[in-house]
Amino acid sequence: MNFTTLNIKGLIKSLLLRKFTTGLLILQLAITLGLLVNSAILAFDTREKMSQPTGLDDENILIVSTHPTSGSYRDLDYYRSIVNEDLAKLNQLPGVNSVSITNQLPIRGRGMLSNTHDIDNPEQEKTDKYLQDVKYTLADENLAEAMGFTIVEGRFLNESDELDFDSEAKNNIVITESLKKGLYGDESAVGRETNNGIIVGVIKDIMLDPTLPRDKQYGLFMNTMMKYIFIGRFYVLNVEPGQMANVRNQVTDTILAVQAERDIFDIFTMSEHLKSFYRDDQGLSDLFLLLCGLMLFVTAISSYAYSQFHISRQKKFIGIRRALGARKKDILLYVLTENWLVYSIGCLLGVFVAIGFNILLSQHISLSKPDMMLFVLATAVIFISGTVATWFPAYHTSNISPVIATRTV
Amino acid sequence: MLNMNNISRIYQSDTIQTHALRDFSLNVKAGEFVAVTGPSGSGKSTFLNVAGLLDNFDRGQYELDGVSVQGLKDDELSRLRNEKIGFIFQNYNLIPDYSIFDNVDMPLRYRGFSASERKRRVEEALEKVGLVSRLKYLPSQLSGGQQQRVAIARALAGEPKILLADEPTGNLDSLMARQVMEILHDLNKGGATIIMVTHDPDQAREVNRNVQVIDGQLADFKIYAPLEKPVDSSGKTISAAVNEEMADA
Amino acid sequence: MRSNSMFTYNLSLAMQSFKRAPSLYFLVVLTLSIGVGLLCANLALVNSMASDPIPEKSEELFHVSMNTWPNDDPQAEPFHILRYREAMKIVASDIPKNSAVFYASGVYARDSASLSLKRFDSSVRATTPGFFALTNAPFAYGSGFIKSSGMEVVIGHELNQKIFSGENSVGKVLELDGELLTIVGVLKPWNLRPLFYHATEGRAFNLTDDIYAPLETSIDLGWSIHARSSSTVSYKGVKFTRDRDVFYLQAWVELENSAQKQAFQYYLDNYSQSLKEVGEHPLAIRNELRDVNAWLLEQNIVDQKVLAFTLASVLFLCVCVFNASSLLLSRFHSAKFEVGLRRAIGASNKHILVQGITESALLGVIAGLLSLLLSWLFLKLSTKFLPDLENLAVLEPKLLLLGVLLALVTAVFSALYPLYRANRYTISAELK
Repeated sequence: MNFTTLNIKGLIKSLLLRKFTTGLLILQLAITLGLLVNSAILAFDTREKMSQPTGLDDENILIVSTHPTSGSYRDLDYYRSIVNEDLAKLNQLPGVNSVSITNQLPIRGRGMLSNTHDIDNPEQEKTDKYLQDVKYTLADENLAEAMGFTIVEGRFLNESDELDFDSEAKNNIVITESLKKGLYGDESAVGRETNNGIIVGVIKDIMLDPTLPRDKQYGLFMNTMMKYIFIGRFYVLNVEPGQMANVRNQVTDTILAVQAERDIFDIFTMSEHLKSFYRDDQGLSDLFLLLCGLMLFVTAISSYAYSQFHISRQKKFIGIRRALGARKKDILLYVLTENWLVYSIGCLLGVFVAIGFNILLSQHISLSKPDMMLFVLATAVIFISGTVATWFPAYHTSNISPVIATRTV
Repeated sequence: MLNMNNISRIYQSDTIQTHALRDFSLNVKAGEFVAVTGPSGSGKSTFLNVAGLLDNFDRGQYELDGVSVQGLKDDELSRLRNEKIGFIFQNYNLIPDYSIFDNVDMPLRYRGFSASERKRRVEEALEKVGLVSRLKYLPSQLSGGQQQRVAIARALAGEPKILLADEPTGNLDSLMARQVMEILHDLNKGGATIIMVTHDPDQAREVNRNVQVIDGQLADFKIYAPLEKPVDSSGKTISAAVNEEMADA
Repeated sequence: MRSNSMFTYNLSLAMQSFKRAPSLYFLVVLTLSIGVGLLCANLALVNSMASDPIPEKSEELFHVSMNTWPNDDPQAEPFHILRYREAMKIVASDIPKNSAVFYASGVYARDSASLSLKRFDSSVRATTPGFFALTNAPFAYGSGFIKSSGMEVVIGHELNQKIFSGENSVGKVLELDGELLTIVGVLKPWNLRPLFYHATEGRAFNLTDDIYAPLETSIDLGWSIHARSSSTVSYKGVKFTRDRDVFYLQAWVELENSAQKQAFQYYLDNYSQSLKEVGEHPLAIRNELRDVNAWLLEQNIVDQKVLAFTLASVLFLCVCVFNASSLLLSRFHSAKFEVGLRRAIGASNKHILVQGITESALLGVIAGLLSLLLSWLFLKLSTKFLPDLENLAVLEPKLLLLGVLLALVTAVFSALYPLYRANRYTISAELK
């Protein structure tokens, strides 16, 4: 393209003569850019959150959330016998590697928590407030295999860690690596005693509560699920890759065949669980994208109307330019450049709108700061949609006959 | 220079066919100053549009400065208009938002000249019409005569082969009209080929040749002897007259 | 009536104008109504979240927070859940007109006389009897229970629909987790938005409960705590909470005037002081009474995501107004010949202005009606993207009115500058 045929100074001057319409369009473009940038931030943030490693065998973990509906379960021995039968039957399903039961799942905000400190050092909780809310998970010995935990030190819970239900003895516990660091730094933790029991093992961190920092995923596990069976709400199944659909279809029937008076709330994989944790973030990000679409549409209408309106007033002058030797593409370029100039100013102003809007939004929701790439991206989107919108009037204009120049009316 | 042979231009509406030009032939030689006259609706505007490559024609041959124009693409016609033709319109057709400089500069940009070349040509052309001091003015700040002189400068800046003037003094009072005509005659003396559409019989008489168009055809030919240089008794030059007018403005 | 006929004349001119540039006016109406509709849908959500659920006495109902945490470790701030012993102290006071102490639970319910074994998952409010008078719970049949113990329940409208298909079920017996309890009252449909009596733990927009059961009975039956609980000791279920440091009960009191409020504050502080004297209250005494709106404000229940999106939709409406304005400008510009003609035959500037405003007001009304439809649509869409909002997506009449007004105002506002410009076109310039 040959831009020497354009008189940029003249273009700016002609824009200034239409201060009102140009100003309106520039404002619209700036707001649109501001929204585009922040919507993109939300979308990327959400995507990043959802793609964080959980430390778990996400795709191959199936979770069943269930609760008895019958009063018979108030007899805990009956309850336990049914659960044991459930676990055995689920384990027999082809494709199931292992089965466990727990009171709460990772990737959840709050839940059952307990303060935790070394038995001789209760002051720890005052210097590290995360120690006041350590995720307290009841488990059985199969949970490590079912969830795919990695042992860093010591061992996971075994059958001998399950005490008699009326025993007052101290429990053995397994803790996450970040909790170990929080309690003992780089020292070994196995054999140390906490207010919640004696540490027999440390597992690699998993994403317990995504709202907490990565290095504060404090959690502990103890083999007391059978003791407090009435809060054992989740069966955790580790499934052979490729067998998921198959197992999933059989779970309900298997459980209800053991005893029918149960409510099965939900059956989901760990990756679905992760997604549902961020469901609202995803929803908001989708809403923003929808709004972006609408806004681009409206702004495109404005760009169209802007050039259409301008051209209707400029017809005569376009004709003169044609008469004086402007080619069709010169006119096309002239009209488009005028719009591009407006978009450039709008996008430039949009940088401030985007930053302001970002600050405003961050008072309500958490979102990252805008970066250069996003501005470039959003500017490109605006230029493309604007050019598409003005293409028709611009093309139409380039077809204005030069004869118009000799008409005197 | 300009050679039209049996040109026909037909406007077709739903019910009527109008022959705006009918087997129109005209040959203008380099250096000639031709006046085209005729009643309104006779086809002289159509002639000018066709001659200026603003409008196409339906039959016949048209050769401009040795280039046969029929069948040329739109871009090529634009190029010819830009390089070979200088237009002077009745209502000047200056771009009101542009300064005098930018108005004269505009066709040069389409030619693709460098900035320094454009500047030289714009100033030279405005020098010729005595308005070089008003580069930064807007058209609305000038009188009608001055505006028309800017338009002449714009036509000259591209050093065209032929100037086409459409009632160049139609909107001017007699004093200003006189100045514009003097410039045109001066240019003609300097070798420019000029075709001027006019309804003023006096103006038509002052030129080399007057052709009359009636009903889309060449009706009449009058060839006048070339005039003496238009200098009045006091011996004032054109630019002096221009200065006088500036003092009035 | 000259002004009247002028108005109809203006209307007919507006209609002609619409007919002359239908696509342009369509775009104006469309963009304005999308903008207004979207904002309205969001405002409807914000309105539901920020409204006063019990305006008749929201200033007389107080939530009780205390800081009776028995050691000085974690709970320095007053706590919204209380131990059984504090809760009983509150119930025992005769200062409040009504008081309610409760926790949330859940059971499976079926009609004990039914042959079907199908049980319905039901939310339970285990509460003292003062709850019904305090919350103005609307009874369809029967009444509340009178004591905190006894095998009696009140059920909500929906559960009554599900189990007894809406008939008067007072006197019928429900099987709740294996226990038999008699229905003494059935509520009418009861919407509390927000659910002020349980606005914590993200439950502010849950529906009202299915079953209301006496507190002592629920504890004795061991119906587990389905909301936040906190303890310094381990315990084997709700049955064992009465004499332990387990915090799980929420308390509301109805205090009719500031004297009562002061007296009750004094009562609570006195109680804390007595604990302090025997060494059971290590923290400084801080007991807090907050009325409904203060409590809801403190809980920050207005969804921040919705607020963020509302901000965005305000910006969007701006864009829509700018768009409408530039469209109208080009419309009025292309009609300026006609304006010039009217001026020439004697229409005053004012006539032209009134004509323009009539036209834009008509546009506004059309856009307003369309925006109502779009608000409804956007509400449905919002709840699809943010399912938690489902109980909130209600378009109240005042919002419908707001929508139409907003459309009207934005339409007239959009037309202001274009009209001003149109009035400056001189007669001679257009008609030379």
